Amino acid sequence: MRFWQLFTRSLKETYRDPLALGFLLAFPLMFMLLFGAAFGGDTAPSFTIGIIDNDQTEVSQGFVTDVLGEEIETIETTNFDDTDTALEELKLGNISAYIVLPDGFGGQVLQIRQGEEGNIALNITFDESDLFVSEQVISIINAATREFARIEIPITINANPINIETDISQIDFIAPGIIIFGLLIMIPTSGRIMLRDKENRFLNRMLTTPTKPWEFIAGYSLSMVVLAIAQILIFILLGWLFGMDIVGSILLAFLIFLLTAICSIGIGMVVASLSKSENQGESLSWLFSMPLAILSGVWFSSEFMPSYMRTFADLFPFSHAVEASRAVITRGVGMEAISGDFFFLVGWAAGIFIIGTILFSRTMRS
Amino acid sequence: MVTKVTRSSVEPNDIPAIQTSNLTKLFGSLVAVDGINLEIKKGELFAFLGPNGAGKTTTISMLSCLLKPTSGTATIMGYDINKEPYKIKQIIGVSPQETTLSEHLNSMENLALVGYLHSIEPNKLKAWSKLMLETMGLTDRAKDQVRKLSGGMKRRLSIAMALIHNPQIIFLDEPTLGLDPQARRAVWDYISRLKGDKTILLTTHYMEEADILADRIGIIDEGRIAALGTSLELKADTIETHTMVVYAWNLTQKVIMELRNRYEKIEISNGTMTLSDKKLDFKDIIDRLHAAGTVVRSAYIKEPTLEDAFLKITGKELRT
Ligand SMILES: Nc1ncnc2c1ncn2[C@@H]1O[C@H](COP(=O)(O)OP(=O)(O)O)[C@@H](O)[C@H]1O
Ligand SMILES: [Mg+2]
Repeated sequence: MRFWQLFTRSLKETYRDPLALGFLLAFPLMFMLLFGAAFGGDTAPSFTIGIIDNDQTEVSQGFVTDVLGEEIETIETTNFDDTDTALEELKLGNISAYIVLPDGFGGQVLQIRQGEEGNIALNITFDESDLFVSEQVISIINAATREFARIEIPITINANPINIETDISQIDFIAPGIIIFGLLIMIPTSGRIMLRDKENRFLNRMLTTPTKPWEFIAGYSLSMVVLAIAQILIFILLGWLFGMDIVGSILLAFLIFLLTAICSIGIGMVVASLSKSENQGESLSWLFSMPLAILSGVWFSSEFMPSYMRTFADLFPFSHAVEASRAVITRGVGMEAISGDFFFLVGWAAGIFIIGTILFSRTMRS
Repeated sequence: MVTKVTRSSVEPNDIPAIQTSNLTKLFGSLVAVDGINLEIKKGELFAFLGPNGAGKTTTISMLSCLLKPTSGTATIMGYDINKEPYKIKQIIGVSPQETTLSEHLNSMENLALVGYLHSIEPNKLKAWSKLMLETMGLTDRAKDQVRKLSGGMKRRLSIAMALIHNPQIIFLDEPTLGLDPQARRAVWDYISRLKGDKTILLTTHYMEEADILADRIGIIDEGRIAALGTSLELKADTIETHTMVVYAWNLTQKVIMELRNRYEKIEISNGTMTLSDKKLDFKDIIDRLHAAGTVVRSAYIKEPTLEDAFLKITGKELRT
């Protein structure tokens, strides 16, 4: 179990170096805090939503005034008589979306509340290119409606029974990207111990023992995985404090984040294997981590980027991780809906570690 | 998981512990090690003596499978460094030239790490570590993170890490570099105790160290072995000229001229006359000086030292 010894040693080197540990944890945390403060809680901007109430019952009016109007702070409502005027306003950008409450809405809700079968159809129209808003609107309305009717409704993108909370804010949309960013910037830090060992030649000393390349790689990366798990938990906790609401499975979200971290650590191992010093390794990885972060859509949606950029970003795990984690967190989708992205991450993680091990064994004896 | 090193029992017992054949390393166009051929017997303590940049560390790095030779090869206990590096790594212990430790671990943990990487059983390892720390005088500070230790302590621990797993073959690259005389003595004592039991290849640029410790010395210069032999052999073989030092008053030009005619080389400075030649007649010289009215205060024949041998062989002073 040589890798286990190397792992515990790396772990000790990390947690007994408070400055380094502080940096490793504090740096990504700072981003999370900044974004949480900027987008979380009270300061979330409000969206104006148009309402066309074709039902005009007590129930539907209650839904509009109490739920959409009062309960959800981020939404303001305006009533319209017909869809044409609403569409006009949407095009002008005066409203972010409009909802049509169909005739019979109230009846259906009452029916469902009494435990009978029912079918509620909400018709939401929004500007498709306004991805940021559309994610918000859908998840907000979705959650609110379901709570109101105490069921799942057709506009649900996925039919998972979920925990409903009404104070959904922009943080839901932002948080997954920021968490992925926090995990992406493990690339520059995860090679740290290996590079320091290279620089002060402690690695050379260990290379005179019968330790195999994979054992070195496993030892170095496992200590970073521990750190990554701590980071993810802190991220999720902070996100929750800022009002992030994980609609889907928290375990699935955690797994996506963990896989992302493992990919970052793997890239870190590749870079560290190729570099001679800590400086060289860190500069090299910052140089491509930042552009990769932007291309992967962690800050802003990558929808508007030229397709060649998106294709390029899609070669790396992070855009997939952003998509998948956003889907789980804001829309509550399950494994079926994100399996493509999920297994892409799994494959990528395996591949990058194989490459890292090969490179390490090539460069360890020059 | 204990990996026992097994070698076929039919192997003759007299294979050399270390054998190099035309071992060569180039860094770009710089020839760091230039076709070294060497045989070190089991249980022998062999010292590489040479100035900085001679190629000592590069040779050790190749033998401990850290560097690939540019050409040529070597075997350690019959295993080829190019073909069976992991077999070799199981039986060697290396103390690198630089003191390298895991800085945030304590002494005990550093020793344990190397021990575990060599698959030593925990019980044995614990006992050996305790013993080793005692030997190296580190017991008091065993639980301190090593970054807090003094340079000398770190150095001793670094050497201990090469020995903790009880390896058959030991490479010590400048083991006493930077140690104070007292600590140096302690390390020498310890190394002497290992003599005969282990095969040790040690590099040094301290004459005294090679002289005291080594069974055989290889003088290495510019990547080549310039001379090889025991300390006595090296001195005897290379120093054909003998030297006599006379401290005297009233040296006259006349007697100097007289001696100059008889002996190859005479130097005078501050009343000290140094004569050297292949043959020196002590009595003849003293008699002649007396006859010339010179007062001889002292006179002696200087024994050749390893340093003289080294100077003669390489044409370089070996100063630290
Ligand atoms: N990694 C390297 N790259 C380039 N040159 C090196 C390298 N290592 C050693 N050298 C050179 O090889 C020569 C031998 O060095 P070294 O084996 O360290 O000598 P010694 O240990 O005898 O002092 C020196 O000229 C040194 O500068
Ligand atoms: Mg050296």
